[in-house]
Amino acid sequence: MSGNHNTDDSGPATRVKALEAILTEKGLVDPAALDAIVDAYETRVGPRNGARVLAKAWTDPAYRQRLLADATSAVAELGFAGPEGGHLVAVENTDRIHNLVVCTLCSCYPWPVLGLPPVWYKSFAYRSRAVSDPRGVLEDFGLKLPREVEVRVWDSSAEIRYVVIPQRPKGTAKMSEDELAAIVTRDSMVGVAKVEAPRG
Amino acid sequence: MSTAALDKLIEATRLDADHVFSAPWEARAFAIALKLSESGHFTWDEFRDHLIAEVRASDRIRARDGTSDRGEYYDHFLHALENLLEEKGLAR
Repeated sequence: MSGNHNTDDSGPATRVKALEAILTEKGLVDPAALDAIVDAYETRVGPRNGARVLAKAWTDPAYRQRLLADATSAVAELGFAGPEGGHLVAVENTDRIHNLVVCTLCSCYPWPVLGLPPVWYKSFAYRSRAVSDPRGVLEDFGLKLPREVEVRVWDSSAEIRYVVIPQRPKGTAKMSEDELAAIVTRDSMVGVAKVEAPRG
Repeated sequence: MSTAALDKLIEATRLDADHVFSAPWEARAFAIALKLSESGHFTWDEFRDHLIAEVRASDRIRARDGTSDRGEYYDHFLHALENLLEEKGLAR
């Protein structure tokens, strides 16, 4: 499935090491810069960013409107921008509509708010079934929706990335924005879970 | 076939929700691709086209054989990167 020039017989770790060595020698990459990228995506660019966005949208109606109108600009207000964040669309769950995000072709995902996608999001099983059997996929994730709830599936692309605005759970009226951010999960922002109120 | 496979993947990623890469080489391959695109040696869209081609080839085999994932996304990612670098003459 790949070109003749690949050294397919060596392990991936060896091949990556060889690539990095050649590219470093040619002055095309700097190992310290690679360290910085890995560190950023392992520690800073992740779903905690999206959770901050969602908590603000739940507590600030004007912000929620801006998020629905132009999500790229709205998340940039909180300092979240960067690769793969160019055309972000926020889709809102209601009592009657549940949104689910997939990338059927590969792995398009809104990095600035959710970081890099989890393993299952990139899997053939998820990508091939999310469109044809979204309710079945949701049940795999333990989410059984009433029949009357319409499931809308959004196929991400190079042009458009989606983030789901989950419903704010009941019993959270007194929670602060920070406390709300702590209960928003990555899975809820992809649409495979609901946000649960903390058990008191 | 797919349900059991998906269950397994879901379980694996729930164990560590903040787990981004499964091995250091995956992180390194990602960083190399992103850095080179940021420096203008290719666009991320160009890279994505190569990635989609790798994923599609794998999907065809899975659909034909009825096999499921083993979480080999970064193998496709690395093949895509190697092919693109070869095309651009960047890693010779």
